[in-house]
Amino acid sequence: MTKDDVAKAAARSWLKPGYLALALGAVVVILLPLLFTSRYTTNLLILGASWGIATLGLVVVLGYAGQISLAQAAFYGLGAYAVALGTTRWGVNWWFALVLGLLAAILAGAVLGSATLKLGGHYLAMVTICFQIIYTLITTNWIAVTGGPDGISNIKRPPFLVPLNTAQRYAWFALAALLLVAGLVWWLRDTALGRAMRAIRENELAAEALGVDTRRVKVIAFTLSAVIGALGGAIYASGYLYISPDSFNFDHAVAFLAMVLVGGSESPLGAILGATLLTFLPEWLRELKRIYLVIYGTVIILVIVFMPEGLWGYVRLASRRFARPSALPSARRPLRVGGRGEAGEEILQVERLVKHFGGVKAVDGVDFTVRRGEIHALIGPNGSGKTTIINLLSGLYVPTAGRLHFLGRDIVGLRPNRISHSGMARSFQNVRLFRELSVWENVLVGAQREEGSEAETRDRAMAAIEFVGLPDRAHEICRNLPYGHQKLVELARALAGEPDLLLLDEPGAGLNQTEKQELIRLLKRLNDMGLTILIVEHDMSLVSQVATRATVLNFGEKIAEGTTDEVLRHAAVVEAYLGDREVALGV
Amino acid sequence: MFEIRDVHVAYGSVTALRGVSLEVHPGEIVCLLGANGAGKSTTLRTVSGLLHPLRGEVLLRGQPIHRLSAEAIAKLGISHVPEGRRVFPGLTVRENLVLGASNRPVRRQELEDDMAQMYHSFPDLERLKHALGWTLSGGQQQMLAIARGLMARPQVLLMDEPSLGLAPILVQEVFRVIKEINTRGTTVLLVEQNASMALAISHRGYVMETGQIVLQGAAQDLLRDPQVKDAYLGGRKAG
Repeated sequence: MTKDDVAKAAARSWLKPGYLALALGAVVVILLPLLFTSRYTTNLLILGASWGIATLGLVVVLGYAGQISLAQAAFYGLGAYAVALGTTRWGVNWWFALVLGLLAAILAGAVLGSATLKLGGHYLAMVTICFQIIYTLITTNWIAVTGGPDGISNIKRPPFLVPLNTAQRYAWFALAALLLVAGLVWWLRDTALGRAMRAIRENELAAEALGVDTRRVKVIAFTLSAVIGALGGAIYASGYLYISPDSFNFDHAVAFLAMVLVGGSESPLGAILGATLLTFLPEWLRELKRIYLVIYGTVIILVIVFMPEGLWGYVRLASRRFARPSALPSARRPLRVGGRGEAGEEILQVERLVKHFGGVKAVDGVDFTVRRGEIHALIGPNGSGKTTIINLLSGLYVPTAGRLHFLGRDIVGLRPNRISHSGMARSFQNVRLFRELSVWENVLVGAQREEGSEAETRDRAMAAIEFVGLPDRAHEICRNLPYGHQKLVELARALAGEPDLLLLDEPGAGLNQTEKQELIRLLKRLNDMGLTILIVEHDMSLVSQVATRATVLNFGEKIAEGTTDEVLRHAAVVEAYLGDREVALGV
Repeated sequence: MFEIRDVHVAYGSVTALRGVSLEVHPGEIVCLLGANGAGKSTTLRTVSGLLHPLRGEVLLRGQPIHRLSAEAIAKLGISHVPEGRRVFPGLTVRENLVLGASNRPVRRQELEDDMAQMYHSFPDLERLKHALGWTLSGGQQQMLAIARGLMARPQVLLMDEPSLGLAPILVQEVFRVIKEINTRGTTVLLVEQNASMALAISHRGYVMETGQIVLQGAAQDLLRDPQVKDAYLGGRKAG
């Protein structure tokens, strides 16, 4: 790249819609307190900003990571109480009190986040609701510390460059904080961490199998959301100078959830939109007295029913034609798969592998080895345990008994993400893509490794996309791709981590002959590049063309192994699996 | 038996079918070939009422059905076995089969007889009759989905890739069963990637590309057609 190119690229990156939005946001932040000068509207701006920040926390945990939280008001309250108590009773500096509040939120967020490890969906919702209710009970009843239902008054404002002694100045402060947090949350989205969160939202199992430490990422998501919520609460407390437990109860937790859903949970701007609407709507409807809550509720229902992606979904659809994603640079190096090692060495040893599900012996004492550089087929009737073995190898299941060694390491009991990082990648029988993410993002998640920079991750991802021949579709959302392309994306995603061993579970299923021939060519090329492949497949024509060795299972036991040609002539294999051999092989 | 006339279907703004016409006569097996995304599954979904055409019509014995709900069409005797093993995961194999007959009034004894018939065709299902749907292996789920479709005693069976993910011996079994169902009087419209085996049991076939029918004819003729051979029959020749 020449100096000129660099300058141009920099100029382009500053023209990105995100930066424009930030600049526009800064203008709005400056203008709003100048336009709305009455005490009442200025207070509403402060309230809206603090609620907006709390809602941005939900963007992280719900919008990105897909984990429901109905405890955001509790975290919001933690920040508010820290600042309130700190600046009144304890007499510490505002900023120090804020840090205490954030630390408390980190602790509480991590604890609550740990609850997500075993729970999902409505169970998780229940746990967060309980957390929220316990929080409210404590703040209401522990009068000695919190002041109880009477609340705390005379809260101080933060010492700042200029004294924040007027509502207008404080509104600027609060709105600037909102903009800052929105910018950070927006930036988070396309970092490795943000991608990992969104991958978990789309398909947790696939994310874990691709090397995402799903437990850690989920706890981080909850913690971040808690910290952001606490910051919003702190800003609220110093804005109103008085707090009581009523402002942080379950109703508010539901309101925050409504704000993020109405606005559009995946987008920071959507969250701000939602928070703004639901802050000001009650005020506009105030005139209507008794029925205002009915209308307020109806608006929320209508938005959720008719705009499942929230208000922001519409803005995004409208803006798509203006903000076309830029073309991606091609990879600076080819794909390097297969690792370094001598061809022929044993890289995977399976010894007396057993997996029982209740009384069902899915795998019952299977031994086989895979050598570097071979394509090894695992075949057998439906229900004979092939997919179970793939799941055991990749760590999704823990064996009942037996030993698994990969590259000389015992991998029994390792979590899938660890096994993935040790050099084993896999595909799934029923394609498990991150459906709402683009091809590029899917493959990036597969390319993410602990060591190395984002630039290297991008290079690996692009090399893998180029390898399967999909660079033209890199920005398409996977859900919209035809099935054959989805399978290729899954292959690229597995290859992007540059594994030693690739496990393929029925890669040919659902492909037509033309696509199968293409797949065979791809597999042969990968094998020529040094990649070792363990393939489960029912198309014997495909297997006999690519695999050098085969292991045959029936009822969880090995019934034959050897070179593919030998095995496909084996009497027991013909009887249990092939039926009419010529039909099966398509000769 | 039934006929599709100049049907246009779109998913939102994406057009999937652009003027598809085909007919299936009583007692026939007709197969529909084509690449992924050509519109084969969409065609089946349009016949069974899961999708409604923007233009064109679907006629069953001369009567238009394309405005009816999927449920009403099922009651008229058209049974759809969808792609991808859509069995009820939380119900047992037996319960899945019983639900298959819910399009028609049925006596208990009749139900048992029909189920016995299914267990005869698919012995694995008998062994697993009390197992929950999700515990079945992929291939077993596929067998269950087919058996459940047959429990409706349909006059017309729409099958979407019945051989997907099955072991060779089961693929042969599935095609044998389809042939058998057909000789007992059920008309079949079959979508398959395994074109050679599908054509081997079919009377006629259609080939689709990008939402249109591009070729049609007797199954024997299609088997010999160089274009079909090249694109869909393949064989052992990849380099």
